[in-house]
Amino acid sequence: MLRFDATKLVLTHAGNSPIVGNLGPTTDELWHAGHRDRNFYTYGNMGLCSSIALGMAVSTDEKVISLDGDGSLLMNLGAIATIGRERPRNLVVVVWDNEQWGQTGHQDSHTAKGTDLEQVAQSCSIPNTATVRDLESLDDVMQKAMTEDGPWFIVAKIEEQGYMPVSPIEPEMTLYRFRNSFSE
Amino acid sequence: MDWTEIIIDSLKQSDTTLIAYVPDISIDRVTSKIDDDPYFQLVPATREEEAIGIAVGAYATGRNSAVFMQSSGFGNSINAIASLCIPARTPIPIFMNMRGGSGEFNIAQVPMGRATRPILDELGLVHFTLDDEYNMDKIVNGAIKLCHANRQPVAICMTQLLHGGKLA
Repeated sequence: MLRFDATKLVLTHAGNSPIVGNLGPTTDELWHAGHRDRNFYTYGNMGLCSSIALGMAVSTDEKVISLDGDGSLLMNLGAIATIGRERPRNLVVVVWDNEQWGQTGHQDSHTAKGTDLEQVAQSCSIPNTATVRDLESLDDVMQKAMTEDGPWFIVAKIEEQGYMPVSPIEPEMTLYRFRNSFSE
Repeated sequence: MDWTEIIIDSLKQSDTTLIAYVPDISIDRVTSKIDDDPYFQLVPATREEEAIGIAVGAYATGRNSAVFMQSSGFGNSINAIASLCIPARTPIPIFMNMRGGSGEFNIAQVPMGRATRPILDELGLVHFTLDDEYNMDKIVNGAIKLCHANRQPVAICMTQLLHGGKLA
């Protein structure tokens, strides 16, 4: 499963729901797959993608989707514990797990060496979890995640691929567009 | 009003309802009141940078937020502030217990506590230090107003002289 195809699939389920994109290729591919006001792109703050999504989820009734990465989430595993403690019903965390730090030279991440992020989420009392390896399974679980109570924690195993052009790096515009979409 | 009530009043005056924090004994008198007050939603984080992320997420949906931490935890959150709050211009008031000043009993708390305000200066962030309750309502209200006007974090640094601190 390629991350870009999976990102396009998530967008078909998202409707107008907020999506937070992890820094780097995840944000770039989210932009290329379908730029929208409700995409909250990040450009730094590695590890905070799902924490930002949690702050959104406890502040709105809408479904909130986090598109995180294994390397980033490993930097802030505490985020999983906090999600398990707060248990917002509207939060959907999707982890693009390529089992490597792709941007830094393709070194094996801890998920290539035994760490199972779905089990981490389960042990942090996140009630709905899954690990998917193909688009059909991702499609099925996203259908449930967007219609049934969560929080959801979905590990999507992806193949590393070539990178797309870097999307516009506009943190202030991103926040402005995103925040304005909540006042309409 | 004492210093704890002044902070709570300022948060309410600025419609700040989401508070993310990592517990600290010296400012627990404020955060425990926040926890008991249904006006607020208090979210405990495992680490201070996580609290910054949660506060930014809340603000992004149109909800005002603030963070409580200790100066040592500021050290844990520098990159979150530098790479998220500042470039995205998110106005997050950061209420901080200052370690390492007069009355500190623990050598391990001194370097980060002493470095906190110089690092804030290097980041270009405004900070206020509170040693007592004199004019504190004006300072805290003004700090939050400035924070939102400038759309950047502001640090409100509370010393042991204000809150009594942690005794050895």
